[in-house]
Amino acid sequence: MVQDKTIGSRIFNVVNYSLLLVIALVTFLPFIHVIAGSFTTAGELATKQLVLVPTTWSLEAYRYIFSTNTVLTGLATSIGVTAGGTLFSMFLTALMAYGLSRRDLTGRRPIMFVVVFTMLFSGGIIPTFLVVKSMGLIDSYAAMVVPTAINAFNLIIMRNFFQNLPEGLEESAKIDGASDWGILFRIVIPLSMPAIATISLFYAVTYWNTYITAILYLTDAGKWPIQVILRQIVVLSSGLAGDTSSMDDFASRPPEQTVKMAVIVVATLPILLVYPFLQKHFAKGALLGSIKG
Amino acid sequence: MRDTAALSEMVVKEKQRPELRRRFIKNRALYMMILPGFLFFVIFKYIPMGGLVIAFQDYQPYNGIWNSPWVGWKHFERLFADQMFVTILRNTLLLFFLNLLFYFPVPIILALMLNEVRINIFKRVVQTVVYIPHFMSWVIIVSISFVMLSMDRGIINELFVMMGFEKVNFLMSTEWFRPMYVLQIIWREAGWGTIIYLAAMAAIDPGLYEAARIDGASRLRQIWHITLPSIRSVIVVLLILKIGDVLELGFEHIYLLLNSMNREVAEIFDTYVFTAGLRQGQFSYSTAVGFFKSIVGLILVISANWLSKKAGEEGIY
Amino acid sequence: MPKKKVSTVLAVVTAVAVMAGCSGNAGNQVTPTASQNTAGDATKAPEDTKKEPLKITMMANLQTTDVPDPTIEKMIEEATNTELDIQWVPTDSYEEKINASFATNTLPKATYVGNLNLLRDAIRNDQFWEIGPMLQDYPNLSKLSPDVLKNTSVDGKIYALYQERPLSRQGIIYRKDWADKLGIEAPTTTDEFFTMLERFTKEDPDGNNKNDTIGLADRNDLIYGAFKTVASWFGTPNNWGVRDGKLVPEFMTPEYMDTMNLFKRLHSAGYMNQDFPVTVKADQHNLIISGKAGVYVGSLGDVNALQPKIAELNPSGLLDVQNRVAAPGKEYGVWAIPGYGAVVLFPKSAVKTEEELRGILGFYDQMMSAEMANLTRWGIEGTHYTVEDGMAVDISERATFEREVKPYLSMQIGGISTIEGFLDLKREPLPAKAEELIKDNDNYLIHDPAVALDSAAFNQDGARLQELIKDATYNYMLGNIDEAGFQAAVDQWLKQGGQKIIDEFNASYAAAQ
Repeated sequence: MVQDKTIGSRIFNVVNYSLLLVIALVTFLPFIHVIAGSFTTAGELATKQLVLVPTTWSLEAYRYIFSTNTVLTGLATSIGVTAGGTLFSMFLTALMAYGLSRRDLTGRRPIMFVVVFTMLFSGGIIPTFLVVKSMGLIDSYAAMVVPTAINAFNLIIMRNFFQNLPEGLEESAKIDGASDWGILFRIVIPLSMPAIATISLFYAVTYWNTYITAILYLTDAGKWPIQVILRQIVVLSSGLAGDTSSMDDFASRPPEQTVKMAVIVVATLPILLVYPFLQKHFAKGALLGSIKG
Repeated sequence: MRDTAALSEMVVKEKQRPELRRRFIKNRALYMMILPGFLFFVIFKYIPMGGLVIAFQDYQPYNGIWNSPWVGWKHFERLFADQMFVTILRNTLLLFFLNLLFYFPVPIILALMLNEVRINIFKRVVQTVVYIPHFMSWVIIVSISFVMLSMDRGIINELFVMMGFEKVNFLMSTEWFRPMYVLQIIWREAGWGTIIYLAAMAAIDPGLYEAARIDGASRLRQIWHITLPSIRSVIVVLLILKIGDVLELGFEHIYLLLNSMNREVAEIFDTYVFTAGLRQGQFSYSTAVGFFKSIVGLILVISANWLSKKAGEEGIY
Repeated sequence: MPKKKVSTVLAVVTAVAVMAGCSGNAGNQVTPTASQNTAGDATKAPEDTKKEPLKITMMANLQTTDVPDPTIEKMIEEATNTELDIQWVPTDSYEEKINASFATNTLPKATYVGNLNLLRDAIRNDQFWEIGPMLQDYPNLSKLSPDVLKNTSVDGKIYALYQERPLSRQGIIYRKDWADKLGIEAPTTTDEFFTMLERFTKEDPDGNNKNDTIGLADRNDLIYGAFKTVASWFGTPNNWGVRDGKLVPEFMTPEYMDTMNLFKRLHSAGYMNQDFPVTVKADQHNLIISGKAGVYVGSLGDVNALQPKIAELNPSGLLDVQNRVAAPGKEYGVWAIPGYGAVVLFPKSAVKTEEELRGILGFYDQMMSAEMANLTRWGIEGTHYTVEDGMAVDISERATFEREVKPYLSMQIGGISTIEGFLDLKREPLPAKAEELIKDNDNYLIHDPAVALDSAAFNQDGARLQELIKDATYNYMLGNIDEAGFQAAVDQWLKQGGQKIIDEFNASYAAAQ
């Protein structure tokens, strides 16, 4: 790429890079506190409040959370639900979004309105529970996926991306005798990798954060995803649970703050690792490259 | 416009049937693609929506929907007659507008800045780092803010004292609540919000920039004339969707920030209903409040979509 | 044209919504028949084969960080000849889950709730079994305290078994080493309490020559934080007080005002944490642990968690506990909870016959035997605990205990005062002293006279109105409003429905006398 070397451009670069660096630091500091807090002692965390580099290092918190396999099982469940759910959701969403992106389709506006309407009106927890129950999904892993399979927001964004593809792609493909299915899977999807990557990420993160559906639809605690366990630890260790509930001093020892930090780290890292893998699809001109290629 | 016409023809005129059938058969593959998703919305969204009728009942679970007494607009009247109604509406709208004004543009600007970065590794690292806060729950963010802003040992107030200033009561004042709320949202969501714009920018033809550079356009002019117009439709879609959420501010976030000293400016519909209704099993009242919020959202979305079409955009439906 | 389109869509939506109503209802009706069958089997069982275990479904509030291990559940099942189906719910979502189950008619046979108010209406409408008259038929259940049972009653009838809790755990925890250094005795009056906080703030009790300590560490809780306990020292009633034969809300008494004045003085003088209205429990504990604050008013049992952490950071840091504090001219008093932590109810939608109900009550009767109580409380002898001097000593790793034993605590019925042979914990001297003071508190309890009374206005608006008072209380203590401002808030409370609540509670009170 030709590097432009005008003075204006250089000033622009300096300002831009420095600002981004500051922003990155500001957003990163609290997370460093969480990481450092997970590697120190409860005492240090209580005194210093904000820890960036531990003075006393300790693996006690990690030893504690990995002393049983609850956290590992939770992670495994979440990884499974996230992978399976994202695939399932992407499939349904891409199909529907493509159908609705075609401007020559009769009835596409009313159908879109039907979708938008669900973003505003919701029957609430209880009627949805009844539907999930009547479909026999209670206490299945599918209960964390199927009732939230399509996110209206993601669908609308996906459709918007499809609509913005260069016009005429479809016509020329049709002239070559391609079917609608063929156009979608051979032309449109390969050309939409930035969009596919974005929406996949959105779904993956939603599934990773699955909490309320797990609470409502699962009866077996062994199937809990990591977020349920994380939240339980955060709530107990912050002392947010009720005061009458505990039986006595012996039974009411809350988990240490360091344990809370360690679980946050363990529950956040896997999903953070997804992003760098998708980043290449956000590179400039990714789309054009694939058209030419 | 053509398909709108087609729809009303479908409803009104019988004669046009063969033409419609021909079109349907032509596009049957597309309808097949839409069908599974459509069924999903019917089963998991529209069927449960029937539950909204309890907003017009004195619903008691043991009576079920069929045997609970109908009370008409009673719960809505209770909401509108409530002394707090005006305060809550004002607070909710104000927070929404602050959010729209100060948060909404931030991810766009941040995405534009990131898009101008030429050093790939720098870009990747910054991108990953700014999106981390999205994964921290509000409980954690609010507790970290407490550590920073507390009057007792808060780092920022300690700094103020060292520099010879007065301590500032961030957490329990009516003046600081709104800035704090908006800043926390920016901090948590701005990085995450860039992703969608970066994806849209990835679709821009690099040849456009090349040509602009040859014409001697500055970097800022390139952003203004090439990048921004290219992501305009994404911005419009996100804006319309955001407007629909006008009365739907993050409950957990505000609930954690709310206290007796800032209630005047911090109480919103969701927090109010939580103490007034949900906790005491007042299902009908809570549903009525939700219904009201949905109607307001619907009106705004329809208006925003209509306006965007007037302005030559495609809108969301 | 667009208008027409919208109305068409709306028509479709309405039609779907109506259908939805049907299906929702159908769901409701299918459930009872399905469970009726199982119930039928269960009731037939005892006649055919005596060995058939009784099936009991329950939903329990999980207070641990781990998914429970089923070993103890199996031992309970074996010992009581039952088949338990326990659904664990994270503590934070318990109420939501109960709400959802209640609304979908899927409550389990044994339903644990912390707050009866949520279900009071349903109880009145005959949705739960009344068990009061049956309790006498069970040797262990009949030992449950009639006073506490009365506190759980609705319209004078008993529907629930309860989990026992000490009536009042409240007291002072303070830094003994600081007090010794400054020559301060444990406070016995509110004035001495004030002086202690003042000197802890001003006289450098930690001896580091820095002005970096405060007296009291309090948190954002007017009940389990310091406020309500200090209010008791002034003789403030517990939620409701009887004055001249009439019920009066606590915040309309002069003693409540005295309490607020004390906190106002403490706060403005800087003898307590300035952000106490927004400080959460964990941060409050941190103030004590890190040696920033020297006094804690709340559950005396918390000394158990605080002392080891203080010692870890500062070997000379030593806590002590104290109760029996009173304002000048007042008797010592301390507010009491109704004596239970959670209760178990038996929904008629799940428990179909009286026979089945009696089977379940039989199960709970067995659970109140010393053997079963110790199993659910302490685990397996030799594995989780040993017995020394007739008291239990836990010997398992903390994580093991959290996973294998502690969850089952939330199933327990009764407690130390109602179960003969139920082992107490063998404690270190300091926690043992705290425990003694908790028992001592029983001599000076201030009860809430309105616990078993009822007011429709309170059920609808009570929680919302209480916020008015809570806000005014905090704002008064912080100096944002004066006495007239507080009075204005009370007037608002009265006007917006408070007067009705007072009238209804008084009517209910008169009827109960």
